Amino acid sequence: MSRSPATAPTAPRPAPGGPPPAREPLPARLLRIALTERVALLAVLLVVVVAVFWWQGRNQYLVAPYDLPYLASALESMVPVCILAIAQLLVVVSGRGGIDLSVGGIVSLAGMVFGFCVGPFGWATAPSVVVAVAAGALMGALNGFLVAYVRFPALIATLATSYAFGALALLSNDNAPISDEPVQELHELTRSLAVPGVGDVPLQVLTFLVPVLVVAWLVLARSTYGRSLYAVGTNDVAALYATQPVRRTRFLAYVGSGLLAGVVAVVTVAQFASARPDAGSAGNGMALPAITIAVLGGVAIQGGVGRVGGVVVAALLVTWLNAGILLAFEGSEGSRYQLLALGLVLVLSALLNTLALRRYGRIS
Amino acid sequence: MSVLATRPEPAAAATTRRRPVLRGVEGQELVLIGVLAVTWVALSLATDTFLTGGNLRNIVFSVAPVALIGIGMTAVIVTAGIDVSVGSQVAVVIVVVGKLVRDAGVPLLPALAVALVLGGVLGTVNGLLVSYGRIHPIIVTFGTLNVYRFVSLQIFGNEQVSGVPGTFAVLGGGQRGQLLGIPAAFLLAVVLGALMWCYMRFWPTGRHLYAVGGDPLAARLAGVSVRRRVVSAYVLTGVCAGLATCVLIGSGGLVQQNAGAGLELAVIAAVVIGGTSIVGGRGTVLGTLLGALLVGTITSAVTLLGWSSQLTNLFIGVFILIAVGADLLRERRRRSR
Repeated sequence: MSRSPATAPTAPRPAPGGPPPAREPLPARLLRIALTERVALLAVLLVVVVAVFWWQGRNQYLVAPYDLPYLASALESMVPVCILAIAQLLVVVSGRGGIDLSVGGIVSLAGMVFGFCVGPFGWATAPSVVVAVAAGALMGALNGFLVAYVRFPALIATLATSYAFGALALLSNDNAPISDEPVQELHELTRSLAVPGVGDVPLQVLTFLVPVLVVAWLVLARSTYGRSLYAVGTNDVAALYATQPVRRTRFLAYVGSGLLAGVVAVVTVAQFASARPDAGSAGNGMALPAITIAVLGGVAIQGGVGRVGGVVVAALLVTWLNAGILLAFEGSEGSRYQLLALGLVLVLSALLNTLALRRYGRIS
Repeated sequence: MSVLATRPEPAAAATTRRRPVLRGVEGQELVLIGVLAVTWVALSLATDTFLTGGNLRNIVFSVAPVALIGIGMTAVIVTAGIDVSVGSQVAVVIVVVGKLVRDAGVPLLPALAVALVLGGVLGTVNGLLVSYGRIHPIIVTFGTLNVYRFVSLQIFGNEQVSGVPGTFAVLGGGQRGQLLGIPAAFLLAVVLGALMWCYMRFWPTGRHLYAVGGDPLAARLAGVSVRRRVVSAYVLTGVCAGLATCVLIGSGGLVQQNAGAGLELAVIAAVVIGGTSIVGGRGTVLGTLLGALLVGTITSAVTLLGWSSQLTNLFIGVFILIAVGADLLRERRRRSR
């Protein structure tokens, strides 16, 4: 996506975003790649973070070793936030201020639907999962209808529906969690799986996260729908002239976001062994961390830019950074420093973006 | 969407003579006043407790913090920005001021000054990052939401601040916080709201806020100092958050670590119900105050009618959709004309 040569200065400097000149020295080239390729920057950061904590763990500065088994078990906390960040990727890329604040509400409500199916209704697990995910998709469809067809600003539509879904989740079982015997047995879905050479990997990483990532990558990077989504997000008027079904494409992005939130609802219920009506809204809620990770992963809030790979690396970075911080501080201090780290990483990476934009004229 | 497109300026007024140049009360505000009036009449008929002095006092006092922050937030959203860090700003100010008042026995006015200045500083950080760092406001304030929350928790240590004296009782919900029988905090919000309404309507720099939100490039070419206006909006929001904190401390007592959590969504809800366009360039403080009042009324109504308190958020969600939907419809009709 290079800028047209017409905007390039007349000086012998290369056009911004054009192929780098052959004589560019290696350090400058590495710097350019690190600054303009979000995935590269995050990968470097990830290596630094892991190396620093590993070194500290080896020298007994941490309360427990920061090794491969620990990193593998830390993936447990990455599953919900990473899937939700992919959901945000879909809607933010769809453009026109796309954002989904209601994922927390959907997780709560779809989780209650799941809990009702498994517990009081006594259904088998598989149909219950399908119903819960479908419920999430239906709620996403409401968002998509409001945003794509009625043309509500996404921030407002999803703010309103997040209030509504959260309230319905609390109302559904009179503010009480569902933790019948069958619901507790769902915990089996999130048991640890011994992977030789690594350690115990949480099962949901393999059964939920990896399939979601593969499908999301296929849809975004390898399907006509994906191309249409990026086109719509970049410029919806141009996409309309290029015969793209703009409204349907945007609508489906929100449906996808709701669907993924439904998947997260299933994972969360299994993880807690209980369907909690406030699962998606406890603390700061689930939407804000997910948006943060999506943005950190290089998703441009203006739409049209963002990749699954960037979001995954960002989620890994945040997860393993948080895991390290938990070991470095005693008691509740660790969770505080996690907030600081998340905020600083977000703002600093955005500042780096600005810097790269000024220096190289484009960023990926 | 520029100021010209949304307000009947002289050129437009010449063709449609029915409209005065600057109407005092705009469409969305009329709708809100109507909705408020209908709900109030219905509630006073349905319950015998709604139309009592005590209940009305409770409503207007409970909306005061949201209304106060909404004054600043309106300016921010009019410049096409957003500030989701206000809840964390409140958390920082509340722990600092709470500890100052309790441990150092600081009297009202210096404590108030500390709250306002501290809020202003937190807002300045946001404003500078948005305007000079050229980062999207929602990213900046998501970041500072986390950082400010960290700062506040760090100052809290591991315990709540209990036994805060009633230094701010004049702004609190008790007997001392009333002026002519009306909560002083609400009066303060109304007075400041009126000042801000005049500023944004008649003052050049106030009009510039709309120009910046409509089209920052055009505004810059027209000689508006865009960056300064943007920073000023965030600083104002911070100061308002500081003031709202004093209301929240009120007559003292316990200050909890989760103070201010979720406040940002309540404020944004009040602002958008009030007809401020989230894409910038349009909106008034009057609408925000009415929006905050509507949210307060709903909350009170659900309690009085004996319904489950969870219904409150459902109604707030529905009202946001109705209010903004009505605004979208009017906008579409205006454009097709």
